[in-house]
Amino acid sequence: MQQLVDKVKEIIKNKEVDVVIGWGRGSLPFSATPIFVETEKDAEKLIFDETCRNNLTTYLTKDKRRISKEYKKIGIVVKGCDSRSVVLYTVENQIKRENVVLIGIPCNGVFEKKKLSQLVDGKEILDFQIDRENIILKGRNFEQTHPLKEVLCDSCLTCQYPDAPEHDYFIGTPRKEVNVPDAYKTINEFGKKSSEERWAYIQEEYSKCIRCYACRNVCPSCYCPECFVDQNDPQWIGKTPEVTDSIIFHLIRNLHIAGRCVDCGACVSACPVDLDLRIMSKKVEKEIKERFDYTAGIDIHEKPAMASYCEHEKQDFIMG
Amino acid sequence: MIKIKKTDLHNFIEFLIKDYNVYAPADVGKKIAFKKINSAFEIRHDITNTHLSPKNVFFPQSEVMFQYSDDGLKIPERNEKPIAVWGMRNCDTSSLIMLNKVFGDAHQMPDKNMYKDPYWKMKYDNCLIFGQACNEPLSTCFCNWFDGNPFAKKGADVFVVDTCDHFIFEGVSEKGKAFLLKYKFAEEATKTDLDKIAELKKTAESYLPEKLDVKPLYNKMSQIWDEPIWDEISAKCINCGACTFVCPTCHCFDVSDEGKGKKGKRIRLWDSCMFQIFTREASGHNPRELSTQRVRQRLMHKYNYFMDNYEQYLCTGCGRCVQVCPVNLDIREVIKQILDYKISRNEDN
Repeated sequence: MQQLVDKVKEIIKNKEVDVVIGWGRGSLPFSATPIFVETEKDAEKLIFDETCRNNLTTYLTKDKRRISKEYKKIGIVVKGCDSRSVVLYTVENQIKRENVVLIGIPCNGVFEKKKLSQLVDGKEILDFQIDRENIILKGRNFEQTHPLKEVLCDSCLTCQYPDAPEHDYFIGTPRKEVNVPDAYKTINEFGKKSSEERWAYIQEEYSKCIRCYACRNVCPSCYCPECFVDQNDPQWIGKTPEVTDSIIFHLIRNLHIAGRCVDCGACVSACPVDLDLRIMSKKVEKEIKERFDYTAGIDIHEKPAMASYCEHEKQDFIMG
Repeated sequence: MIKIKKTDLHNFIEFLIKDYNVYAPADVGKKIAFKKINSAFEIRHDITNTHLSPKNVFFPQSEVMFQYSDDGLKIPERNEKPIAVWGMRNCDTSSLIMLNKVFGDAHQMPDKNMYKDPYWKMKYDNCLIFGQACNEPLSTCFCNWFDGNPFAKKGADVFVVDTCDHFIFEGVSEKGKAFLLKYKFAEEATKTDLDKIAELKKTAESYLPEKLDVKPLYNKMSQIWDEPIWDEISAKCINCGACTFVCPTCHCFDVSDEGKGKKGKRIRLWDSCMFQIFTREASGHNPRELSTQRVRQRLMHKYNYFMDNYEQYLCTGCGRCVQVCPVNLDIREVIKQILDYKISRNEDN
């Protein structure tokens, strides 16, 4: 991705930014790793491909906003979903848009490690190769070919904004038409089940949560200086990994990101026990879309759904 | 040494289940972890290493310390059968030795009257550990940096090698030898079996990374506490607890009271030094407010403080943290980075 490297070198040289957050080659076959580029030389390390999983905008608000304190102007390499997070931060007054330089990049989707692992039945993948529409997975005693689509994140498969709607520079050629069959297919199908069936699935799924909070910490929308789970005076929720406590954590987190989730899928990828986190977040996204006709992170001038009020809004959720 | 046909393993496991609560690698949701099994058929033999570490067997993520009500205080007692764990690789059996130094084995400490943890001891003291040869280390494994080996028996009572069609058993501890003597349906292992084991060991070792001399790590870490290297190391850490929760040796815990009216319980829960709340004091002051300080704490505990207290590193090179880290903060690279680091501080300061 020479164009990306050149652009970053240029904006560093022009002192347009003090740092650029991008992806570098990771230590595992399917992991890119976040890097903080301050010099033209370091810009050589930048990559972009299907392994660039993380939503790097999350660093803007993490760790007491360390990055915003250390650097005045921050450049970030963004995929579509990542750029939407920056819109979110802007409309929620978390950053000043002019302090961030966005280098947009057309995204064809990123790999979901857990899907890869399932395809090879848990065996270790040591290398891979992309051959047009297919991916060849290689391990010690196997080599398998699969359609590329099978290993992309669910979020990517229903993504409607792969071209970083918000950006200052754009690298490469935008993807043209994006045909998403039905973004809410899984949710609608799940909704058709009986409430007992749905509850059984949610209980079964969330009973495996180990409460490591990786989902919360990678989430760009989770930026509270103090999360409700860390409130212990008085304590808000039980801290055990028992299903009742874990479900409350996930329910509250999902309500808190209602109308704010950009469906980047970072939580799904980060979960060390492969929970189906999107079953909740996508449902909440759908509700917001249907009730308020609002999609998070698209319009930098529009007030967020949960921060505005309109008389014509459906209120049946209040009236029962 | 004795051997059992793979197809007959269920007989052996049934024999074991008569006297023990048996934990083994099995499916837990979409992952593989150690869980209590009721039949040999639940065991996943086809795995390399479990996704979650076995520490939860002896040190559960959530454990009731006592319950109280109008009837008084009730401290849990263990009336169940002792625990046997099947299928622990060397990285896991050696982690138990480390944890036992903290929770159970007070004579390792300079002060013999040190606290012994009854909750750990009632599970660990009578347990039977089946170590298993790790035939196929993963690319994330680095046990050889920390005195481990895929075929090392340390920490196991019985050592098992999966030779494709057989399991070969070797009694390691007195307890393990005695147990094997009780099982009458095994054949003696032959020279061919021993040759096969040697061959498997050689192959397994060939998968390991180049050995790294980590001895200087302790001294180096003693000198870099206030060096800028920690900012570099921690820059990308997002402070989730994934690494600490999958780690077989991380053992920090929190104590939480859950009560309503006159009834309640005190629970011990895994905690993580990656969390901000871990060190937040009642006044609101937090000595480890920043990510950098917390990342430093975790690494110092593993490769420096634990050495001070127990004369070994608190890491077995299992590589689980490498696999789960959402930002690919690879502890192997961190170790190398620390070893290569040139101290910037002027010694006069």
